[in-house]
Amino acid sequence: MSGERTLWGLLAEFTTPDRLVVACRGVRDAGYARWDAHTPFPVHGLDAAMGVRRSPVGWFVLGLGLAGAAGGMLLQWWVSTTAYPLVISGKPLFSWPAFVPIMFECGVLGGATGAVLGFLLLSRLPRPFHPLFASERFERVSDDRFFISIEAADPRFDRQATEALLGRLGAEHVEPVETGGGAAGARARGER
Amino acid sequence: MAVAEIDPRTLDIDPAVTDIDPVEGRPTLVAGAPGFAGVTEAVSRAVEWKPPRGWYVVFAISLAALGTLGVAVAWLFWEGVGIWGNNIPVGWGFPIVNFVFWVGIGHAGTLISAVLFLLRQRWRTSINRAAEAMTIFAVMCALVFPTIHVGRPWLVYWMLPVPNQMAMWPQFRSPLMWDVFAVSIYGTVSLLFWYLGLIPDLATLRDRAKTRVRRLAYGLFAVGWRGSHRQWMHYEKAYLLLAGLATPLVLSVHSVVSFDFATSQLPGWHTTIFPPYFVAGAIFSGVAMVVTLMVVCRVAFKLTHLITLLHFDRMAKLMLLTGTLVGYAYATEFFIAWYSGNPFERFAFINRALGPYAWAYWIMVTCNVVVPQLFWFKKLRTSIPLLFVASLLINLGMWFERFVIVVTSLHRDFLPSSWGLYAPTAWDVLTLIGSFGLFFTMFCLFVRFLPMVAMSEVKGVLPEARVNH
Amino acid sequence: MSDHARIEPSAARRPTVTLPSAATEPPAGRRARRLPAIGFGLGAVGFGVSGLLAGDGARFYASYLVAWLFATSIALGGLFFVLLHHATRAGWSAVLRRLAEHLAATMPLLALLFVPVALGLERLYPWARPEAAADPLLAAKSAWLEPGFFLARAAVVLGAWSLLAWWFRRRSLAQDATGDPAISRRLKALAAPALIVFGLTLTVGAFDWIMSLEPHWYSTIFGVYFFAGSVVAVFATLILLALAARPVLGEVVTAEHFHDLGKLLFAFVVFWAYIAFSQFMLIWYGNLPEETLWYAHRTGPGWEGATVALAAGHFVLPFFFLLSRAVKRRAPTLVAGAVWMLAMHYLDLYWLVMPSLDPAGLRPHALDAATLVAVVGFGAGAFGLLMRRRALVPVRDPRLPESLSFENV
Repeated sequence: MSGERTLWGLLAEFTTPDRLVVACRGVRDAGYARWDAHTPFPVHGLDAAMGVRRSPVGWFVLGLGLAGAAGGMLLQWWVSTTAYPLVISGKPLFSWPAFVPIMFECGVLGGATGAVLGFLLLSRLPRPFHPLFASERFERVSDDRFFISIEAADPRFDRQATEALLGRLGAEHVEPVETGGGAAGARARGER
Repeated sequence: MAVAEIDPRTLDIDPAVTDIDPVEGRPTLVAGAPGFAGVTEAVSRAVEWKPPRGWYVVFAISLAALGTLGVAVAWLFWEGVGIWGNNIPVGWGFPIVNFVFWVGIGHAGTLISAVLFLLRQRWRTSINRAAEAMTIFAVMCALVFPTIHVGRPWLVYWMLPVPNQMAMWPQFRSPLMWDVFAVSIYGTVSLLFWYLGLIPDLATLRDRAKTRVRRLAYGLFAVGWRGSHRQWMHYEKAYLLLAGLATPLVLSVHSVVSFDFATSQLPGWHTTIFPPYFVAGAIFSGVAMVVTLMVVCRVAFKLTHLITLLHFDRMAKLMLLTGTLVGYAYATEFFIAWYSGNPFERFAFINRALGPYAWAYWIMVTCNVVVPQLFWFKKLRTSIPLLFVASLLINLGMWFERFVIVVTSLHRDFLPSSWGLYAPTAWDVLTLIGSFGLFFTMFCLFVRFLPMVAMSEVKGVLPEARVNH
Repeated sequence: MSDHARIEPSAARRPTVTLPSAATEPPAGRRARRLPAIGFGLGAVGFGVSGLLAGDGARFYASYLVAWLFATSIALGGLFFVLLHHATRAGWSAVLRRLAEHLAATMPLLALLFVPVALGLERLYPWARPEAAADPLLAAKSAWLEPGFFLARAAVVLGAWSLLAWWFRRRSLAQDATGDPAISRRLKALAAPALIVFGLTLTVGAFDWIMSLEPHWYSTIFGVYFFAGSVVAVFATLILLALAARPVLGEVVTAEHFHDLGKLLFAFVVFWAYIAFSQFMLIWYGNLPEETLWYAHRTGPGWEGATVALAAGHFVLPFFFLLSRAVKRRAPTLVAGAVWMLAMHYLDLYWLVMPSLDPAGLRPHALDAATLVAVVGFGAGAFGLLMRRRALVPVRDPRLPESLSFENV
């Protein structure tokens, strides 16, 4: 993209999880929709403070897990009765007790894949380039600082009002984040 | 605490402060109050700076041992399985003992990661990363043995259910096939779990990286993680569910390994308690290995305030618990062997204790049942030198347990005319040493390039992380 | 531990938790006051009816053994809960511990109720009959399977359980008066060795009372199997007790505690299935007649329906049912699940005992119900007596605040 820079949103920095939680309640109550909190570790109570619903990752796990187990049993059944039947120590061709261990393991594999896949899909990861990476202060999000970002695309966004709100809610520092060719791309590619 | 004056209906203790036990005033999980930045610094520094001199020494020795493995395996492929001590009647010897030994060690990583997570044991956060890495490397070492031992290793792919020109398929009723699935799926799921936990920490290293190469390398695997809470929500759910899946996996994998023996008809092998007994033994040896590794790493990388005596105290208790369960299994097996009235069963157990391999049996009993009893005493649970020596003895004992199970049951089974003896060859021993080389080489690389403590998780259990509504 | 500072329990200034006064008083409701009378009354009726229907006694002793095992396994599970709580210094379960203590303390009465089993030794156990001397396999183990030694072991096992249950409950009640944290420390120190005694005695009990019903058969995992079933039963019972005590414990035992009980119930249902399957699959695979006969009795045309019902009802259905978070946090679904699991536990014990005594097939008899009412009635009556004049929550347990404010993630 060419070097045209537009405002992506505002980034507010907080020093403690307590302040972040209080601030999030404020942002939630002010009616913003396109915003997020950023923390170095999951902060207890943010779900409620942000008003977000529970994650549906569990459905991925259940679905792929059952599919894995069914697939494992189906494979063994088909191989042992149709594709390559062998009589082993007089046991029946469909020896279901002997097929349970592999069926279980395949189920767990399916479930685990579902968990990771579900997480990546729902989080829209991998996403190595994000406007927030343009901010130098944002580097501390993986260290010891807590942030709230509110996107300019949000219907209630107003540069002055939103910045003032964040200040009132206890932000240590508020900065604008810009998107477009220059800074974000360069930083993400590792240049300074 | 003056109790007479306290109104029974109100108690003056902040209920949210769970690190402080109202009975014992237990110390916090992390010493010295480093704060979030302190944790980041302490753990990242180990990766960013040059490693201590000792690391180079250990790495060199490990590489040498890994080389030995290479030579031993190359010679094995060239000459054949005859270079080992396996014979008739003892058709299974060192290779399967080593396989079970390594798979067992891996189990502690999953226990610490997954089971302790489900049990809300917050002290696990300092050691779970290293323990999970240990699991993955232990599984790698374990898988070496089934792969190389088949006699015609170029046909090892026959164990996989893939369509082929011979229209041939694996025989799923064999416990050895169950092993193929169980152990490889265990490795895969452990890898997934470990990687998921690494993502936030890789982001930390990416954000701190001073060189382009490091930033790209860590950034690639950090998949653009930016600490977004909406992502943390999915992350936490996935982590919880993976922990929930890994828990039965831990039980099932070593149970499947025990099925290798228990599905037979051999006295000393065919007994129903094998599955939970093997799982308890696996966790026992794995925790001992974690203790061995952590004793060294916490000092070498200056992480003694994160991996504290409290952690060793807990691990010692785990060893005491699992060691006692193993002892329970020994006692039950022995009693039922007598109770069965079956002369072959009775003989098998007398032979273990008094026969040609009695020396191995008594090493096993001393190291597995007697040594962990030291951990009844708090002073001994928190003595680093004792913990180090005890953990080595426990792993020695657990190796001998598998040796005793395999060799004593095979060398004298039903027909006295078929009885024989087993002795390992030099190649057996070199392959075992080589597997340790593989393990420690991987572990050295891990502590060099990846954060060995789960930074984000440790931060989450610091007092500063607590939110007081 | 000298490498970092010790933090002492705080003085005032911190926020406090308040225990509702209903929970600190002994239960005073009508149901609670009448429980002993109802329990013992029903129990007496059960015994009366059993006596009338007993006839020659063969079926009576079998039904009675199942009923007695059902009640004892629940009390045993209660003991396990108490010991585990102390050994692990658990915080969340403090509000539930008193209920488990009362459950476990019914053990002395249950020990007395073992007497009919002792009287029925020859009817129940082949090795106790005179013909046993002619059987070489039974002769080989006659040092162990011999009426005198058997009864002595039962006395030791039941005595140990009664002693442990009584001691742990007594000290806990003492803490109600003084709030002394040293009591918690003592009980924790005692709990770990007590668990070892628990494990060994439970194994002896399971081997003696259930496994020796078919004395040619043996299975090293059998103690673990009995243990798994008992723990499932006690979690189900605690759920029902906590819900029944809603008028007193309503604000104290929250959805969070039920969620945890539900999770533990789920976990042990899976553990039970793992143990049950391991035992079955290994014996099926080895195909040795001296081992398979036990399963042959249970998979023949008469009993196979019960076997399938057990597998489906004790594992498959509860697995999917208890998977859901919502189910574990709501009373109606939890009650359904708990009642179902108790029924399945009874079926499990029935399935362990009856096919050995009556291989022909599943033939329910009124005596099954009568003896169950008899034993459970007496147990409930004892529970009611134990509950009297005691708070239903350990009011001055130092970890109670943690338990009261506990929250699931």
